[in-house]
Amino acid sequence: MDIHQKWKIVRILLTTVYLMIGWLAFTCNIAPFSLLLGFLFSFTLALFTYDIFIEKREVARRALIPRISPLLIYPFVLIFKIYLSSFKMIPAILTMEINPRIVHFRTRLKSEIARALLANSITLTPGTLTLDLYEDYLIVHWLNAKTIHSHYAAKLIKGHFETWLKKIWI
Amino acid sequence: MDINILTIVIFLLLINSLVSVYRIIIGPTHQDRLIGLNLILSQVTAIMVIAAVNFHRAIYLDVALVYAILGYISIIAITKYLKGKKLHE
Amino acid sequence: MRLIAYLFIGMGVFFATFGNIGILRFPDVYTRLQASSKCGITSIISIFIGLMILEGLSFVTVRILVITMFFFITSPVSSHAIGRSAYEEGILPWRKEKEKEKGE
Repeated sequence: MDIHQKWKIVRILLTTVYLMIGWLAFTCNIAPFSLLLGFLFSFTLALFTYDIFIEKREVARRALIPRISPLLIYPFVLIFKIYLSSFKMIPAILTMEINPRIVHFRTRLKSEIARALLANSITLTPGTLTLDLYEDYLIVHWLNAKTIHSHYAAKLIKGHFETWLKKIWI
Repeated sequence: MDINILTIVIFLLLINSLVSVYRIIIGPTHQDRLIGLNLILSQVTAIMVIAAVNFHRAIYLDVALVYAILGYISIIAITKYLKGKKLHE
Repeated sequence: MRLIAYLFIGMGVFFATFGNIGILRFPDVYTRLQASSKCGITSIISIFIGLMILEGLSFVTVRILVITMFFFITSPVSSHAIGRSAYEEGILPWRKEKEKEKGE
């Protein structure tokens, strides 16, 4: 058995575990029949989708399994930021004093899940919206642009999110 | 039917959804119409959850969950369909 | 306790109203998308937190928590999808200076 086949089996099992967590969250039921049904469906789906869910080149352990303790604190930080952003949105809606621009900058996060979460967090922070992500670069629409220099814009927009996400994934 | 605060909240959210329908009708581009659709989706889900708490029917929560999943998938599918088509020139 | 719950639900309705005013007043696709994504997710989260406080610890609360998590993940993703399709179609963003030049 060569290393590619071993890695394939590990990927299928990890996908099954993540799908089982989703099944348990949606059904809220730990009867044996429900667990068996969930396992069967998760395994069947994992056989089809393991190649999309975990790509072949993502071999770092930190890229697949998150650290638990920062993961539990992160949503509360995010909810606080969301309320802040909405209260900043109301004067912009009422007075219409906006200065929208599009800025590009790059990210240092490596794993796919962490990048997706960074894009989501940027969308939820005040006045910024992720439009696209290619290679290492994020394209961000900024409602109240203070600068168009890539480096300063990255510092202002990403803020604490990148350090938080670096603690959780790689 | 007794009137309490949650019923009034449901009616206010319904009026909000009607305002979003106006954006869907006048929207100049297809993306504007999708924005209105997205907002209506979230408000209708909120209405379903409020109704589940107000009338003590736990089955409405399942309906709300399935509605949210289907709406999300439909918006992704419509944006995939619009991709690569020069529709307004 | 009920007062705090009603305060949260009222805040949710308030944000939903402002999101609707935003999508009616803003000048182009991207700015409307900003208003709808921010105010939409805030109103949803406020209403669900209020309902969870109102209901107490029960089976219903867990289900509402699952729906909240689902919205937390999918609402920004659908905003990205709409914004990306507008960007790939080549719709230019509205800018302040351009509008001034036209006016003069």
